[in-house]
Amino acid sequence: MKHKTILLTSIILATVLLPAVAGDGVFSGMVRDYATFRFSQSDMPVHEITADLRYDYYGDLGKFTLHPVAYSYPNEGVELDIQEAYFDFYLQDADIRVGKQKVIWGEAEGAFITDLVSPRNMRSFILADFTEIRKAVPAIKVDYYAGDYTLQGIWVTHFIPSTLPSQDSMWAQTPSMPFPPTISATINVPTMPDASLENSEAFLSLGRFGNAISWKVNGGYVFTDEPLVTGVTAPDSTSREISQGYERYGFVGGSFNTTLGSMILRGEVALALEKPMNSVNTTSNPPISIEYHNQVQTLVGLDWNMLGAQWSTQYLLTYTHDHDDSLVSQMKPIKEFAHTLTFRVQNTFLDERLTAKLFTYMELEPANALIRPSLSYNFGDGVLLEGGVDLFVGDEEGTFGVYQDNSMAWAALRWYF
Amino acid sequence: MRTRTTKRLSVLTLLITFVLLTVSAATPSGSEIMWEVYNRDSGETMSANLIMTITNARGAVRERSIAQYRMDKDGVESKLMFFLSPSDVRNTSFLSFSYEDGRSDDQYIYLPAIKRVKRIASTSKNDSFMGSDFTYDDMGSRHPDLDVHKVLRKETIDGVSSLVVESIAKGDEDYPRTLSWIVDGQWFGLKKEFYLPDGTRGRTLTIDSYEEIDGIYVITDMTMRNLEGNTSTRIRMEDVEFNLDFNDNFFSERQMKIGPRR
Repeated sequence: MKHKTILLTSIILATVLLPAVAGDGVFSGMVRDYATFRFSQSDMPVHEITADLRYDYYGDLGKFTLHPVAYSYPNEGVELDIQEAYFDFYLQDADIRVGKQKVIWGEAEGAFITDLVSPRNMRSFILADFTEIRKAVPAIKVDYYAGDYTLQGIWVTHFIPSTLPSQDSMWAQTPSMPFPPTISATINVPTMPDASLENSEAFLSLGRFGNAISWKVNGGYVFTDEPLVTGVTAPDSTSREISQGYERYGFVGGSFNTTLGSMILRGEVALALEKPMNSVNTTSNPPISIEYHNQVQTLVGLDWNMLGAQWSTQYLLTYTHDHDDSLVSQMKPIKEFAHTLTFRVQNTFLDERLTAKLFTYMELEPANALIRPSLSYNFGDGVLLEGGVDLFVGDEEGTFGVYQDNSMAWAALRWYF
Repeated sequence: MRTRTTKRLSVLTLLITFVLLTVSAATPSGSEIMWEVYNRDSGETMSANLIMTITNARGAVRERSIAQYRMDKDGVESKLMFFLSPSDVRNTSFLSFSYEDGRSDDQYIYLPAIKRVKRIASTSKNDSFMGSDFTYDDMGSRHPDLDVHKVLRKETIDGVSSLVVESIAKGDEDYPRTLSWIVDGQWFGLKKEFYLPDGTRGRTLTIDSYEEIDGIYVITDMTMRNLEGNTSTRIRMEDVEFNLDFNDNFFSERQMKIGPRR
């Protein structure tokens, strides 16, 4: 309660007092009313009002940004969060950003390959706005510029994990545990690493911004963003306690973009070195353990204009080295080769007031997909009315098919100011 | 009688020839005029704020404002635009490199929501510029070799002597024929008409105001009227500056993220 009061006071200060006292400040934001209708249940599981505020103060040295967000749900309290709060220092050949910040890496759209600095907020699976899927991390980021080259170093002082859907959420999944039905399993809250220098994360990137080709090579030493089962204990013969935690690994990778005729060719690859994964073996004791495997994720994408519309497609391959069938992620099987396709087409009409968009994820094995057609009408003055359908189809063992009961229609009204 | 008539005809022919030779010596050809327009000094560097007012067929008005920076250097036109309003596109920036040698443009967009600079597929020159009645072609300098030009006549607009040049596109265009009213000696346009393939007039560009800034003529207020859709777009340019000292890395990914000049 005390925490919320402090947060609320901060937001009031940011929204009311700072613009009044600071002439070089810019106050902006977005208010959104978003509601859904779920076909299978004929219910309205989400009705969310969001106030996304932003205050930027420009000084001689650089800029200060405060980005609070408030979510309101019917019959529930207001959920407040400082999404970002950081200082930017602009030097002759370098920029330094200090504070809670979101960092986006890579060329993929809707996929996370080298994009491992900011963890994800999966409270709405992957349906939230892109900016809301990302969580900020407390970090110091330094960009050093030399001609077309940029060297970037990031030190994330405290590890922040991804947020998974809460147990009462429509997006929560009940993990299937390798125990007989007579045994009840209790899953403990994941143990966070101690806040120490040793448990911080570090990232390094070198890139070149060029008209023929732009590229980046990067790497990092990180924690798994999602928890792993770290131990199973048996307090008695009919129950098991499952401990969870986060484990370390390193990765190297890179990305590029270039033109291919009138099209844009994008690519990205990451090699996770000795990535910790859970392995389930009912004949072992404990039946869940941690194994370390190299894993490659790679993506190639094409963007082009045709018939007045923007088109894009991507192919994503994940390969797990030295694979065996016992490997799981969040207690779901990891495949040796996993193939995913994405497809997007977007066009505008009525002097760019009306935007029609279709975005699709498709997993090839098992065949399942998320299909997202939507329309957005811009009334001008920052007011937009949106509507669409999120269809989960295909095999229930798939990432998207598992949510086929959550196929829904949605509508949103946004006001940008 | 026959001798007198022959003499009169000879004198008339000589006079006509003399007049034609005099006019052709004084008036450059259509191609020469359009090259003068293309090569006119428009400053190696420039910055301006653009206010775009788009009016639809029902009279509803939308306004957009953009801070624009341009540099011409070594056969490359670099252009950086920051969208200042409306609020739903604020802080979006657009960077383009256009090449004199005919290579396709390189274009990039920075979307603050995804915090990433994306290379984007080059837009067609005939596509609408930001939902307005201007096309990307209108916003740049059309290469004279893309059309065949002919001077039709001299005409005075608001007391300014201009040459009316007809340009016929060599390739497929939405508007295969245009008429341009070019200020004689200053080589900038005062008016332009765009004709559809069926010969009817599709759009009209009128110049409502121009200024001489640092010795360079700048169009500061212009309106494009689309006669088919009964829509119009007015662009006003404010705070125009030339010969700015951009550092080497101004037209860059870094600047796209930072925003307008600091």
